[in-house]
Amino acid sequence: MADQTIPVTVLTGFLGSGKTTLLNRILTEQHGKRIAVIENEFGEIGIDQALVINADEEVFEMNNGCICCTVRGDLIRILGNLMKRRDKFDQVLVETTGMADPAPVAQTFFVDEEVQRHFRLDGIVTMVDAKHVALHLDDSDEAQQQVAFGDVLVLNKMDLVSPEEADALERRIRSMNAMAKLVRATNANVPIAEVLDVGGFDLKRAVEKKPTFLEPEYPFEWGAVFELPEGVSTLSLGEGADDTMQVVLVPVEGVAEPLKEGPERGVRLWTKGLSAVKPGGLVEPERSVNLDVSSGKPTTFQVRVPRAGRWMLLTEHGGEEYQVRLGTSAPVAEKVYGGHEHDETVTSVGIHLEGEVDGKKLNAWLSKLLQEKGVDIFRMKGILSVKGEDRRFVFQGVHMLFDGRPDRPWGSQPRSNNLVFIGRKLDRAELTEGFRRCLA
Amino acid sequence: MSGVSLFKKPVRRAHLLDAWRFAPSEYPRGLAFDRHGGLVALGAADGQLAVLDAVTGATRWETKLPDSVSTLAFSMSDDRLAVACFDGKTRLYRSDGELLATLPGAKGGWVEWVAWSKRGQLATAQGRVVRLWTSEGQPVLETPPHESTISGVGFSPDGSRLITSCYGAVRLFPLEANAESRTLSWKSSLLSLTPSPDGKVIAVATQDNSVHFWRLASGKDSEMSGYPAKPTALAWSPDSKLLCTGGGEVICGWRFVGKGPEGSEPLMLKGHEQGVTKLVFSPEGLLASGSLDGDVLMWDPAGDPKPIGIAPLGGEAAELAFSPDGGLLAGANGRELVVWKVTRV
Repeated sequence: MADQTIPVTVLTGFLGSGKTTLLNRILTEQHGKRIAVIENEFGEIGIDQALVINADEEVFEMNNGCICCTVRGDLIRILGNLMKRRDKFDQVLVETTGMADPAPVAQTFFVDEEVQRHFRLDGIVTMVDAKHVALHLDDSDEAQQQVAFGDVLVLNKMDLVSPEEADALERRIRSMNAMAKLVRATNANVPIAEVLDVGGFDLKRAVEKKPTFLEPEYPFEWGAVFELPEGVSTLSLGEGADDTMQVVLVPVEGVAEPLKEGPERGVRLWTKGLSAVKPGGLVEPERSVNLDVSSGKPTTFQVRVPRAGRWMLLTEHGGEEYQVRLGTSAPVAEKVYGGHEHDETVTSVGIHLEGEVDGKKLNAWLSKLLQEKGVDIFRMKGILSVKGEDRRFVFQGVHMLFDGRPDRPWGSQPRSNNLVFIGRKLDRAELTEGFRRCLA
Repeated sequence: MSGVSLFKKPVRRAHLLDAWRFAPSEYPRGLAFDRHGGLVALGAADGQLAVLDAVTGATRWETKLPDSVSTLAFSMSDDRLAVACFDGKTRLYRSDGELLATLPGAKGGWVEWVAWSKRGQLATAQGRVVRLWTSEGQPVLETPPHESTISGVGFSPDGSRLITSCYGAVRLFPLEANAESRTLSWKSSLLSLTPSPDGKVIAVATQDNSVHFWRLASGKDSEMSGYPAKPTALAWSPDSKLLCTGGGEVICGWRFVGKGPEGSEPLMLKGHEQGVTKLVFSPEGLLASGSLDGDVLMWDPAGDPKPIGIAPLGGEAAELAFSPDGGLLAGANGRELVVWKVTRV
């Protein structure tokens, strides 16, 4: 029954981001699918083989106890009419207006059982104008929501930006939405398969896609691998904007991929027994320390290196900004982590915890969280290891609505919990701690 | 006349005997008997319009509209059939098939609702506007645009008021000088506008899985919530004493007697295995229900809370209608129209 539902793709993005170009491509390209388009901006689309329905976006409030629960009334009505035909469509595309909040569209598929019986929300595709998005993100809630809600973010008009600008944009977008698939495009030339049949709201698919949507997010911004002799090496930091700089040194000798493995080791030590070190003081390896850099001038510290080999230094703030040096030679490798350069109001918080959660505690925590913060939590997804349950518990939500169910058995796979929140004003420490308390 | 149902001899069984079947060329959209009970009109999603002999099923006349039929209705005072279409127009036919008028609408929007008044006036709803026409297709009036798309249209029983519903409000427009205009507000998406036959109560279903109703005399309104699904199937008994509502498997009947239905236990009619999609009353007060489970059940709500008749429809009920005398019941699933003769034993 579930497989007979017709997939619905929502196409969102600011005016001029290339929505219409993509829509026209989807409609004209030979893919053998019969598509119904529900269009909200009176566009120039006139394609014979597709049914194009013009509609006003009618956002209706629901009286179901969720203060932020709104649905698209026009969509319920139009989809209700589309299902009353034997000659079914293979795909429905909903184009939103440039300034639309995607939440009511997504919530429509959680709230209306009639719509659920015949259709499934496959994914939200957000077109991003690479040249102008920075401006939009700075002063528009809608632009932030559109990025936050996207299952696929098409960074369009890449020909108009430099490779450096493109990388910076990608980092910024990624910090806001860690679970979306990013696709770079020029003239909306993204492969159709990347935007249709996304499975963004498919709980089973969420499990398959775990590695991408749970791209690690680290509390440090920079890491570098150094070749160090046994003994004491000098760590020097240049002028910076902050009073303290948290760092940790981890061994990566003999490690195949130090830029991946190093941060994994570092993140485990990051919050354990943090101690303060004065200028000139001694930094112990594999200990998270807070360096005093309040003088505002270049500062040096001593680092104890118990054995010769490769070590990785991870720093809270940008290594380039502080001109971090360790020992006498340049780093063998270095990497920038996270995208903290723009302090976004919309962010992603990913939580990974080993162990099993207590179902009751989790339910109580989630209910309270969604009641208090549901307005600010745009989307969430998770795969949980619930005590007493042999199967993975997968769930996802939009604002205060959520849907979860047991999925495949864990089998011999190690049990762990992964969840991602995307939203506004999210407190990473509070969310992580709240979830930690749900552990059985 | 009140209290008649209490003394009525309970019906033991209602048999539904297959009379005839008809296969439309696409999904059925709109089903109605004419006022004499001699004709059945059926529309379809490809624009097919078939008018059939109610007794034999023979095609009396047939035509093809340029786009999907959304709904249709026979006048109860003239031999007129109104057919609403996705092409934005409403076609007005004489019962013998002659096209009397093609009523224009705004470009690009579906005409979604049509209704006839007892005085023979026709209301058509397209987008946010309702237009009123004479039985010859002459325009009478056009409402101002509503704040959202019209979700239902109807008339008071005497035809003195036009009634509309949309998000947040039911509105009554006076069609004669001394009638007042009224707005009944309820902040919700209002569906399935269903005035009671005596004109005293207006009931709607809501997107919030509830039924809301207003008593026009006092202006008092009530919200009946807790339905497992949108209760979009609403039907009043002919005596206006029972409002049957369906959304889930159980049909819930609200009794408008005494101080009820507020604070009273509803009548629960259990028999369907899946959600109820259609409810219709016969003039004698028998209830027929259609459901996603593919069965049509018959009930005597004044007697037994158990079904008194059953007939397989073979697919989810898309349309359901009684003939004016209650002697025939027509039901359509996605592929086929089935007409039964109703016999009571």
